[in-house]
Amino acid sequence: MAVSTLGSSSDVTKRVEQEIFRQGSDLKGSGFRAALLATLGISVLILVVLLGQVIVDGWPVLTTNFGDFWSGTLRSRSSDSKLGISQGLVGSFWIAITVAVLAFPIGIAAAIYLEEYAPQNLMTRVIDISIRNLAGVPSVVYGLLGLFLFVKLANNGQSSLYAGGITLAILVLPIIVITSAEAIRAVPSSLRQGAYGVGATKWDVIRTQVLPFAAPGILTGTLLSLSRAVGEAAPLILVGAITGRLAPRDGSFLDLGQFGDRFTAMPIVIVGWVQESGRDAGFAAAAGAAIVVLLALVIAMNSVAVMLRNYFENKRG
Amino acid sequence: MKQGFRQQLKTLALIATIALVAAACGGDSDSGSTDSASADGVSGSVFVSGSSTVEPISVRVAELYEDVNSNVSVDVEGPGTGDGFQKFCAGETDISDASRQIKDAEAEDCAANGIEYTEIKVGIDGIAVMTNNANPVDCVTFDQLFNLIGVNGEGKDTWAAADSSLPDAPLDIFGPGAESGTFDSFIEIVIEDLAEEAGVEHTVRTDYNPSAEDNLILQGIQSSDTSLGWVGYAFAANADVKLLEVDGGDGCIAPNEETIASNEYPIARDLFIYVNTGNAAENPALQAYVDFYVGEGLDVAVGEVGYVPLSDAAKDEVRAGWNS
Amino acid sequence: MADISIPSTSAGAVGRDPLTVDALAGPRKRARKESFIKGIFFIAASVSIIISILIVASLVREAWTFATGVEWAKTWGQNGWFPRQGVYDMPTLLVSSLIVTVVAMLVAGPLGLGSAIYLSEYASKKTRSLLKPVLEVLAGVPSVVLGFFALFFISPQVIERIGRNGWLVIGALIFVAYIALVIGWARNLVQREAGTSIGTQVKRILILTALVATALILLWWINSVAGSADPAADNFFTVKRSGQLAAAAVGVGILTIPLVASVAEDALASVPKELRDASAGLGARKMTTTIQVVLPAAVSGIVAAFIIGISRALGETMVVFMAGGAADAARFTSSPFEGGLTMTAGMASLATGTDNVVGEGLTFQSLYFVGFVLFVLTLTLNIVAGRFVNRVREKY
Repeated sequence: MAVSTLGSSSDVTKRVEQEIFRQGSDLKGSGFRAALLATLGISVLILVVLLGQVIVDGWPVLTTNFGDFWSGTLRSRSSDSKLGISQGLVGSFWIAITVAVLAFPIGIAAAIYLEEYAPQNLMTRVIDISIRNLAGVPSVVYGLLGLFLFVKLANNGQSSLYAGGITLAILVLPIIVITSAEAIRAVPSSLRQGAYGVGATKWDVIRTQVLPFAAPGILTGTLLSLSRAVGEAAPLILVGAITGRLAPRDGSFLDLGQFGDRFTAMPIVIVGWVQESGRDAGFAAAAGAAIVVLLALVIAMNSVAVMLRNYFENKRG
Repeated sequence: MKQGFRQQLKTLALIATIALVAAACGGDSDSGSTDSASADGVSGSVFVSGSSTVEPISVRVAELYEDVNSNVSVDVEGPGTGDGFQKFCAGETDISDASRQIKDAEAEDCAANGIEYTEIKVGIDGIAVMTNNANPVDCVTFDQLFNLIGVNGEGKDTWAAADSSLPDAPLDIFGPGAESGTFDSFIEIVIEDLAEEAGVEHTVRTDYNPSAEDNLILQGIQSSDTSLGWVGYAFAANADVKLLEVDGGDGCIAPNEETIASNEYPIARDLFIYVNTGNAAENPALQAYVDFYVGEGLDVAVGEVGYVPLSDAAKDEVRAGWNS
Repeated sequence: MADISIPSTSAGAVGRDPLTVDALAGPRKRARKESFIKGIFFIAASVSIIISILIVASLVREAWTFATGVEWAKTWGQNGWFPRQGVYDMPTLLVSSLIVTVVAMLVAGPLGLGSAIYLSEYASKKTRSLLKPVLEVLAGVPSVVLGFFALFFISPQVIERIGRNGWLVIGALIFVAYIALVIGWARNLVQREAGTSIGTQVKRILILTALVATALILLWWINSVAGSADPAADNFFTVKRSGQLAAAAVGVGILTIPLVASVAEDALASVPKELRDASAGLGARKMTTTIQVVLPAAVSGIVAAFIIGISRALGETMVVFMAGGAADAARFTSSPFEGGLTMTAGMASLATGTDNVVGEGLTFQSLYFVGFVLFVLTLTLNIVAGRFVNRVREKY
């Protein structure tokens, strides 16, 4: 035993000496490092090419008749001056509102329950497992649920804006629960104990200490989930968003009556136009322009979320 | 801390307000552009479903009508003739686009649900059978088409292998996918009777290249010297492919506007819309849309989207039928 | 309840009750309000259970109708997926899904893992803050955008431009690299043979067998793709402009990069700093430390990252729907250079443009049958991935 240890330690010494004397010419090491950096570089390159392609394709449409494109509707030919994305914007706007109204409160409340109230029992485990598994369910499966519940059962086979909105609210719910729970978990327990010490109830503690501290994290998570909902197309296709013709509606953008009506949304407009481009090549440019608008919306939401997170992380050290 | 939370809530509220205002502005310009007052004061909504082949006509008519009366909103979707009739007979739609006449089973379904309807012929869709310009074949019979494209053709990769009367050349088949009305019509007109005789399935071989986009079918035809395919006449008429003459029993007939409109060319089908007459009586918007459809629609839209318009006599007949 | 008497020195306090635990609990009303609030939160939390049950119930209900009503001969060994004609060949969808997932992971695996290693082991704080957002932006790009990109850029400019022979060479290179990795791993095992239990050895032999089998399948696949293309035709891509499975798969892979990177980075970050310091103390270089110490320590998490990536790629819908080169029906194909439908794209294209899929008989139910298969597959993958993640957590 002793002999073998001695042998191996002299091996190590030799290795160490070799390594030390070769210092400064670690070609293999630099190559490895460069290769790793290149993998990131490829992602950067992809992003640049993607943005470039979309902007090059969509720019002419956006610049030549920006106002019309903003207020226009689904049309059968790409050269039509009334072609535009207003219906997609309306649909996506109301879907976002539905998600905010339904998924935010329920998601945050569920996170509070799991982090602050939940006892260590079977029920809690079941809730926890179901949330984690829901987060991994493919989005198209949520579409199947929405089609069955909100179109077939609830609405006699007719699609509607609320079917799309609720389906997407369900889709992002697990994400909101998980991110909010993480934010709440990060609240130092000293804050809670301090509040209990002066006689606060559990709800008081949550309301005055936990939530304010966790708010930035929760807000980041909700914003990210909102941007996910706005960009999601597959569930909406399943619940029957319109890709053919949707007549321009009278009345304002904010008309609540639209909830029971047939609908479309930004990603669906894009999908429809990409398909139309086989027949009428001009639709490819229109789809590119719509993508520029959608990407601007989504990236803006994501950036605000990430900036919020970084700001508070820095502030708290 | 509490102050901080309030502050964040305020920020959130501010963001939401900005979004709402921005949204409202978008809405303003939207409603502003659709303000052209209607001539007859009719308003309401119409829902059209059914054949994806007829869908472009109904959409175009709706767009043209919107310029006349923007208070009538017409939504159109195109899942297919069969899906369309299912919804129509359940009372879910006002108009059903159809690339064939209603089947007995479907009519019974409608009757059972108390749906009354009227059938309006709107145009004619010829189906062109095409090959590459380099192919020496000029004319095919229904029998040959059945052998080439029907289920008996499965696995046969030369023209001769499928039908011994044809040259020994590679066979690459391109056509619309099963979701398409053109697919259904081709089976109905060319394949069905012969398949019934031969006691095989009423469909086409599965080893062909289906495509939802007509352009891709044309490209496929151009990609191989002895390709074979079928597509709506309007899409093939001006393309760089060879339109085959077809012998439906009365000799070889080349497809063109005249032979299709006169029903001489054997692979042509009539396109219809079915209007729910009960709804039309109650809904002036539906009445007005169909009025426009049989008027300017038949004159302008059918030709614009690439189908063969009805002859003047046929149009008059349709109009008289609808107005009564 | 034990009374706690308070000193009665406060002379002015007349008739004050002694302080009890009950009194500390506060007024009953307050307690009622508390339990009411707790109840509301509990209901919110149980929504997730209800949703899970609803998903499973709706899938199972319709999938069961399909499974009991369909002629099983129509679901296996047919020429393709033609749901509106009543032909539901599952292998068509499953093989396309497999192709897309494998190709997507060939893109996302190395790029995601490489990015994670660089960010976690090499990047300075400043580079990190510059490069990390790139991945975050990429993660936020909607899949319809990738679908557009795959159709109009990847398909014509990458897949078709590299061309048939180029891709066969690339396929062969990947195959060789894979074999080299397997051989290297096996050699490593032989060297470290002493002191392992029989159980571990059996496990290793099983894994090795699986790897060799995969290699053989890969070889057969490359060969069949090479063989199925007509060598006389200069155009490898029979149908143009509507994309093909390979283009869609690369798009799916790009979407998967950030996910693989972020899970792998978490795993690397959870490796204790002491291990790296100890390795450096022994004179190991950064690269040696990374490859021989950090990666083996984080291997469970990296496996989890790959599995989660696979699950994500399997569930991606829009990219394949838009750029996969098939309409709502597809012929069976085992070549990535032809059009095809994955399970997800098959569902989406069947449902496009209408809220009421009817078709022939069981067409509507077939949606749910495919959805059910997809659900079971992704759920299994996610559960397995969860196990691996927990293994890392427990270790450190």
